Amino acid sequence: MHELPQQLVNGLLLGSMYGLIAVGYTMVYGIIQLINFAHGEIFMTGGFGALAVYLWLLPEGTTMWLALPLMIVGGIVVSVTIAVAAERFAYRPLRTAPRLAPLITAIGLSLALQQAVWAWFPGGKNSRTFPEIEAGPYHLGSVTIQSGDIFLLAAAPICMAVLAYFVRKTRTGRGMQATAQDPDTAKLMGINTDRIIVIAFALGAAFAAIGAVAYGLKYGQVNFRMGFIIGLKAFTAAVLGGIGNIYGAMIGGLVLGVAEAMATAYMSDIPGMSQLGGQAWADVWAFVLLIVVLLVRPQGLLGERVADRA
Amino acid sequence: MTALLEVEDLRVAYGKIEAVKGISFKVEAGQVVTLIGTNGAGKTTTLRTLSGLLKPIGGQVKFEGKPLGSVPAHKIVAMGLAHSPEGRHIFPRMTIEENLLLGAYLRSDSDGITKDVERAYELFPILGERKKQAAGTLSGGEQQMLAMGRALMSRPKLLMLDEPSMGLSPIMMQKIMATIQELKSQGTTILLVEQNAQAALSLADTGHVMETGRVVLSGTGADLLHDESVRKAYLGED
Amino acid sequence: MRNRSLIAITAALAAGALTLTACGSRDDGKGKGSSDGGSTVVTIGVDAPLTGELSALGLGIKNSVDLAAKQANKNKEVPGVTFKVKPLDDQAQPSSGQQNATQLVADKSVLGVVGPLNSSVAQSMQKVFDTAKLVEVSPANTNPALTQGEKWDSGTKERPFKSYFRTATTDAIQGPFAAQYLYNDAKKKKVFVIDDKKTYGAGLAGTFTKEFTKLGGKVVGTDHVNPDTKDFGAVVTKVKAAKADVVYYGGEFPVAGPLSAQLKKSGAKIPLVGGDGIYSAEFIKLAGKNGEGDFATSVGAPVEQLPSAKSFVDNYKAAGYKEAYEAYGGYSYDSAWAIIQAVKAVVKDGKLPSDARAKVTEAMQSVSFDGVTGKVSFDEYGDATNKQLTVYKVTGGAWKPSKSGTFEG
Repeated sequence: MHELPQQLVNGLLLGSMYGLIAVGYTMVYGIIQLINFAHGEIFMTGGFGALAVYLWLLPEGTTMWLALPLMIVGGIVVSVTIAVAAERFAYRPLRTAPRLAPLITAIGLSLALQQAVWAWFPGGKNSRTFPEIEAGPYHLGSVTIQSGDIFLLAAAPICMAVLAYFVRKTRTGRGMQATAQDPDTAKLMGINTDRIIVIAFALGAAFAAIGAVAYGLKYGQVNFRMGFIIGLKAFTAAVLGGIGNIYGAMIGGLVLGVAEAMATAYMSDIPGMSQLGGQAWADVWAFVLLIVVLLVRPQGLLGERVADRA
Repeated sequence: MTALLEVEDLRVAYGKIEAVKGISFKVEAGQVVTLIGTNGAGKTTTLRTLSGLLKPIGGQVKFEGKPLGSVPAHKIVAMGLAHSPEGRHIFPRMTIEENLLLGAYLRSDSDGITKDVERAYELFPILGERKKQAAGTLSGGEQQMLAMGRALMSRPKLLMLDEPSMGLSPIMMQKIMATIQELKSQGTTILLVEQNAQAALSLADTGHVMETGRVVLSGTGADLLHDESVRKAYLGED
Repeated sequence: MRNRSLIAITAALAAGALTLTACGSRDDGKGKGSSDGGSTVVTIGVDAPLTGELSALGLGIKNSVDLAAKQANKNKEVPGVTFKVKPLDDQAQPSSGQQNATQLVADKSVLGVVGPLNSSVAQSMQKVFDTAKLVEVSPANTNPALTQGEKWDSGTKERPFKSYFRTATTDAIQGPFAAQYLYNDAKKKKVFVIDDKKTYGAGLAGTFTKEFTKLGGKVVGTDHVNPDTKDFGAVVTKVKAAKADVVYYGGEFPVAGPLSAQLKKSGAKIPLVGGDGIYSAEFIKLAGKNGEGDFATSVGAPVEQLPSAKSFVDNYKAAGYKEAYEAYGGYSYDSAWAIIQAVKAVVKDGKLPSDARAKVTEAMQSVSFDGVTGKVSFDEYGDATNKQLTVYKVTGGAWKPSKSGTFEG
């Protein structure tokens, strides 16, 4: 069991990334009850946005310490632009349509974004290598932290703290909470709910872009399909944590990440389970966990019962 | 002098069903005006239209002489029209204080806001005692107080109260009505929608009786209170 | 109003997505009609992943077949016959492969197909081609079951489809060859075996494990990965904890590259070894400098070193293809050339026989020529008789041949 600390760290790192992406699902769902299935692709475009900055806007050989902040900005600009445009032109006209219409639109948008990157990003048909941070690895006892993980390790808590401050302490943040709890009454307070919805999309996209930069640094590559599976996982994390709750999204991500790491590492050691262990089965166990949690707490780990919605 | 609020031939529909079929009335500054009537008469629909949550299909609404026709809800608040909705609709997962602050969402004078929060606590001492409590845990009457306090936080020129006494115990109802009386004496202009006609008409300068989307009878509060048909229909007398 | 814009937007998005998808597969829609200005037109179909993560390999296959057809036309290899190429994209998906197979069968001018890349795709295509008696020559499939039946491992070999041939060597040889190299030459004794559970990867891992343990090596751990994932943190931690001195990966480079990088970054400085599925420049790109010292086996002798291959390499360069010929270029050229030779055997005075497809399939069995990769001919199962293999090692950011040999089981 001496590898346990490392496996925990592996899971927490993976989970932090799920959490960063899950925030976008949960905020949008919390406010307009839309499962924005294109969010995984918004994440993906953020990665390509950051890469584009590195490849074409920065002189060759720019040190990563200088390049990284600019790449993050680039990724955020791309993701946020796409998310806001999607809200304005695809989702808003469907605000009062039956639920299925925006859902199908989201799926269509997701495919369109994948294909757009595939077709138009130079070399986008294959994986594109992402620049690395030249540092580390760092050893803490039996735990190794790789250079690509440092960014994620720092970014995830900072992002969550900023988000928590924003939602609880700023006027716009309170307006967002109010809109999530009761959109009509929020309008009676003078809250421009359309604007709040745009902000929710934009914030979610910005977090996804930061997650995508973390992905690129951690795995050394980005590709046009990278948003699909991880988007599903992040959505799972959002549901696990209680969809609509931003802290739930992060907690759900971490729980999911650790569960996957543990399943990969130890499931096959349980007698009789050797066929059901390993990384390929980790996804299955992650969903088993989701089902168990939802059976016990249908509203998710931190979710509130919807009854008080009146 | 023009009235604070002028409603002319207002018509509102849900899909094909017309809920308000051409009503007209005025609210003068400093007055309390009440709309009474049974369930489904169109009272709440009227208020929701005035505050911009519903769009009329005909007629005109003027607030301080300016037409409200296509102004979105969040801008109507800015013009000075506050609406405490039916069913109270406080924000359950936020504290009492946060709810009150949301009432002042459009204001940026933090000193004034602090003062008005204090004023709300004076008006409703129970709220002041529990300012950090989640609003969803309050009793119905306390939630009503919060909803009214929240509506006042925007310093409205016109306060619209929709069924403030609904579902409350008689004691609590009296308290709420006393508060409305107090607001009136302070000079607040109020448009009050009530099923409890007795209480509403005793307070009101002017009353309008609504039936299936139309105003069928108008008069001063005292006149209506003594009108025979009103007494029969709404005050439970034979 | 709202409803109409909903429909419009949804339709626009769906249409957009579909058009973009379709772009990839519309390369050559012509080739119908088997007569072209007096000369008979024979189409060689190509099925390979032309888009997606494995497209590097797939495009190499397509270009090499194209080159073979051009050479045949230029040299009038089969008098009176003009060869055309019809490439279809299977995206490495068995379902797409089967659709493509149906499409190729429907085109009467197609007399042979080169492809696919993936063994799992081949499984979905074999029956379609066999029913139409259309010959299929794969330059890359290495799963033994494709030619020797599901029970090949227990010694009961039975050829399931008479129309399926391959110029690639099977896992039954490639896996053990790697095992022998690692145990005898590289002196590795403790291996951690990982595969992607696909037909190719799992098959390779299986034959490798069998030979490695037979030689006396120890398997200190196994795991299966999901090819759609890029996070192997948990797996590499297991590898490290198991104290393995080498990792054998049964699968392809999109996983192997990041896996190798994450392995080295975790502090486990041990090489990753794989089959021809990782023998690609893309692997080195994905693994970065961490790929240094990794091994791959690939079928045949190194193309660059064979004298017979020199003209192929030169011609490929001269033709100016955008993409490299990659691991299977030589085999693809030979596969296409085998079809051309089989066609040559059945054509009389520039005219095809009435049951051309069946005749070509029959003729394939006895095709024999000196190709890019050595002598090309097929045994009774449709497998290449050429059993040569090479171990390559990543040295200085490129694959360099380390040892060539013929497998003796």
